[in-house]
Amino acid sequence: MSRYRFRNSFAQSIKSFFRHGAMSFASVAVLMACLTVLGAFGLLVENINTNIDTLGDLNKIVVFCDTSLTDEQIEELEIQVRKLNNVEEDNFVRITKQQAMEEERAKYPQFKALFDEMEERGDNPYPDCFEITYENNEAVSTLKYQLEHMDGVSKVKCRDDLASKIDRLKSGVTFIFGAFLVILFIVSLFVIINTIKLAVFARIKEISIMRYVGATKAFIAIPFIFEGILIGVISSGIAYFVEWYVYSYATKSIVSNYSLITVVPFSSINGTLFISFLIVGVFAGIVGSVISLGKYLKA
Amino acid sequence: MIEFRNVCKKYPNGTLALDNVNLTIGDGEFVFIVGQSGAGKSTMLKTLFREERVSSGEIIVDNMNLSKLPNRKIPYYRRKLGIVFQDFRLFSDKTVYENVAFAMQVIGESNQSIRRRVPTILSIVGLQDKVNSFPNELSGGEQQRVALARALANNPSIIIADEPTGNVDPKMSLDIMNLLIKIHKRGKTVIVVTHEKAFVDYFQQRVITIGDGKVIDDRVGGMFDE
Repeated sequence: MSRYRFRNSFAQSIKSFFRHGAMSFASVAVLMACLTVLGAFGLLVENINTNIDTLGDLNKIVVFCDTSLTDEQIEELEIQVRKLNNVEEDNFVRITKQQAMEEERAKYPQFKALFDEMEERGDNPYPDCFEITYENNEAVSTLKYQLEHMDGVSKVKCRDDLASKIDRLKSGVTFIFGAFLVILFIVSLFVIINTIKLAVFARIKEISIMRYVGATKAFIAIPFIFEGILIGVISSGIAYFVEWYVYSYATKSIVSNYSLITVVPFSSINGTLFISFLIVGVFAGIVGSVISLGKYLKA
Repeated sequence: MIEFRNVCKKYPNGTLALDNVNLTIGDGEFVFIVGQSGAGKSTMLKTLFREERVSSGEIIVDNMNLSKLPNRKIPYYRRKLGIVFQDFRLFSDKTVYENVAFAMQVIGESNQSIRRRVPTILSIVGLQDKVNSFPNELSGGEQQRVALARALANNPSIIIADEPTGNVDPKMSLDIMNLLIKIHKRGKTVIVVTHEKAFVDYFQQRVITIGDGKVIDDRVGGMFDE
């Protein structure tokens, strides 16, 4: 497309946008609302995921060794445990009874005297243990069963139930987000289609003249597609600023009332949010325009 | 050259608008197409500029078979034609200059070329003083001359005028017809569909009479037989 034709088509699209002020405004408002709701949901999902991740490492199992085992037997047990499926070699940690006691001493300084006495008497109640990180959440119950039935293992501590529940929660939230995305996109598309149809209908005489003088489909369609893009860009810009304002307000409220909740700062996601809005808005604009022009571009 | 070979056109509602039409219009001819309302004249024009496809038969225009023309090539075919309608079909928000220039913009003419050619074309139709006027500031005859100028903009070989004097007063109608004759003398093929008996009889050109979708008469120097 020549520069002149690009400029001309763009100028026509702006002219048409303002000529149908009310309908253009309605399209921008609806698409902006859809993007804002979508963005809000996306931010919610991001915050939920962040807070879930900060609950700690849920994919860990702690295996406590029998206190009657010798060091050699514990080493032998460690070799057997490392060989099991679903055990991440790189993250396998052995905590000796001495290390366990030191950790507890550091955790409870107020009981320093008690720990000192235990150490003097050589009376360390803490067992040796292995901290295992597993790879596959679905196979964790098998691993847990194997560990519980190994000789020399006194106890297996695993938060697999919670981990799988949270995994399901994350999947559910992501699925709902995806469903919202599809529904809101369809709604936006519908509104844009109606706006562009109105613009096309208002210019139907003009379009027929263009066809008679030999204008190609692209020549006719481009100004309308530009108009759809314009609606998308304006909507995404407004939606971004609305999101920013509302999120900032909500963040202040949450942080002041619920200190345990981690809130994702807007600055860490604003780039992604803006680009996402722009892509969805422009895509809806283009698709809406193409669909509404369809039958009017027959040869 | 334009050839209609055994052309039939049947609409989905069963109306047989063209019934085995055979005719040839040579390069540079001036032809009146006449007939009663519903005779098939408009359908003939629509098939000629490929707004409608024929049901059977072929239309050959300058060795191009319109029946086999793919849709994507239709805009390029239409640029060989200059079409004038009864209702002028001008852009109301564009000046005379812009209306004519538009036809050139569509085919990608440069601004320089447009600035050079539009005044020339407007002088052919006698509207060189109305360059910046809008259609609603012009009389019917002047609007039709703008439409003619636009039809000439891309130097087509064929001019098709569908009832060009239908919305024009009698004095201006004669001017329009004289303009069409002038265009014809420049070597263009001109096809005029009309109900104006007076012009058909006056200009003594070839007259093709259509009735019930058939060519019922075709003679040079013909008269409009009602």
